[in-house]
Amino acid sequence: MTLSTMLSTMSAGMLRSFAVFTLTLLGSLPLGMVVALLKKSRFGLVRAIINVYISVIRGTPLMLQLLVWYFGPFYLLGINIGDWRFPALILGFVLNYAAYFAEIYRGGIESIPVGQYEAAEVLGYSRTQTFMRIILPQVVKRIMPSVTNEVITLVKDTSLAFTLAYQEVFSLAKQISASQTSFMPFLIAGVFYFVANYVVEFAMSRIEKALDYYK
Amino acid sequence: MILEMNNISKRFGSNEVLKDISFNVDKGEVVSIIGPSGSGKSTLLRCATFLETIDGGEIVYMGKRAAHTDASGNAVYVDHKELRQFRSYCGLVFQQFNLFPHYSILKNLIDAPMHVQGRSKVEAEATAMDLLGKMGIADKADAYPYQLSGGQQQRVAIARALAMKPEILFFDEPTSALDPELTGEVLKVIRRLADEHMTMVVVTHEMPFAKAVSNRVLFMDGGVVVEQGDPISVFENPQEERTKQFLRVFER
Ligand SMILES: Nc1ncnc2c1ncn2[C@@H]1O[C@H](COP(=O)(O)OP(=O)(O)O)[C@@H](O)[C@H]1O
Ligand SMILES: [Mg+2]
Repeated sequence: MTLSTMLSTMSAGMLRSFAVFTLTLLGSLPLGMVVALLKKSRFGLVRAIINVYISVIRGTPLMLQLLVWYFGPFYLLGINIGDWRFPALILGFVLNYAAYFAEIYRGGIESIPVGQYEAAEVLGYSRTQTFMRIILPQVVKRIMPSVTNEVITLVKDTSLAFTLAYQEVFSLAKQISASQTSFMPFLIAGVFYFVANYVVEFAMSRIEKALDYYK
Repeated sequence: MILEMNNISKRFGSNEVLKDISFNVDKGEVVSIIGPSGSGKSTLLRCATFLETIDGGEIVYMGKRAAHTDASGNAVYVDHKELRQFRSYCGLVFQQFNLFPHYSILKNLIDAPMHVQGRSKVEAEATAMDLLGKMGIADKADAYPYQLSGGQQQRVAIARALAMKPEILFFDEPTSALDPELTGEVLKVIRRLADEHMTMVVVTHEMPFAKAVSNRVLFMDGGVVVEQGDPISVFENPQEERTKQFLRVFER
């Protein structure tokens, strides 16, 4: 197998890894905010459910969670959904990352001084306006470093998709390496992850710079 | 009468912070509130500006009742929508300024007038620039709060409150967070507002200032108004022993 066929075979895997990465972010970044706000809900039951969700997600391996989402409907509920592999994969990733993002958001929201809320309240802003106009923009700035860390972890975590036999770049690398008795596929995969994270760090630092106009 | 607070009581748990306090503010009046720390001055302002809810008593703005005690002894407020109207009557300047750090100075002054009161951008900006001019910081319109000194930030906070065109403006120790050399510029601005007959209630430890600008001085201690009157009688000829003791600390 020439290097170029190797690369073209693996590029399909890169695209699949990229798909998991993108869909996970698209789902978990907003869902995390919903979870963070529900955690401050007036209703004790809602708060309790959210707390259990977050501690279970953080207390168990992502790999195990993926297996539960894939096999759970059949073994636990006796339902056969058909080809449920990819949705289960994305569901597992999104729910996992949403829990982590929710904790980051919560920390950010709690770090905003109470005086900001009071100033907004006296000026007559509604609760929604206060959150959207005053609190959220400041939260976004404060949490950027933690979000960057989480996104970099996600780039590497996409390799866990192999758990559900999803042919992302790392599982392809293992297969090709075994069949071709070559170390090259691992190098290619390594470069792929490294470059991907380099792009993430670059993009995030640009965003952080753009938010640097105030302290 | 702009504001009437009648028989206000307020507890935090078992701690009774305001004990049956009554006080009125007339249009154009400047009232200073003095008293030792922990006496309930901030709580009184926070109840008047609806940041805290009272446990008993009556709050009346412009002859309209915002809160009262019902037959069963509970304090009841008007509904949400009406409360917004009452909020628009009063402004509050905090000890810690509480400017919005992500907004430029100009944006700090126009955001609420535009998005809370629905004023046009042109109108809001004209009002804001006029106020910044009065505060002597028109050149800072495009700066961000962190770029300003404490005294400048507090003047912006005063302008931000005034931009809402309140009927009455409350100040909670507006100079306590400032270095001594910066208090003068803030007090000067408040004095100018007094000259223009802005209705104001100022909690302060600046006794010479309170004496010079107020029409009336309230001395609070332990959640009650111990003594009140015109500044000359309260400062020069206090009747109550607690007032005398408190004022002695400020003399030298
Ligand atoms: N949010 C609060 N929760 C509990 N106790 C409070 C709260 N705010 C104020 N207090 C208590 O109320 C009393 C009066 O406080 P405050 O109104 O801040 O006094 P002052 O402004 O005169 O120093 C103090 O004993 C203070 O500890
Ligand atoms: Mg106070």
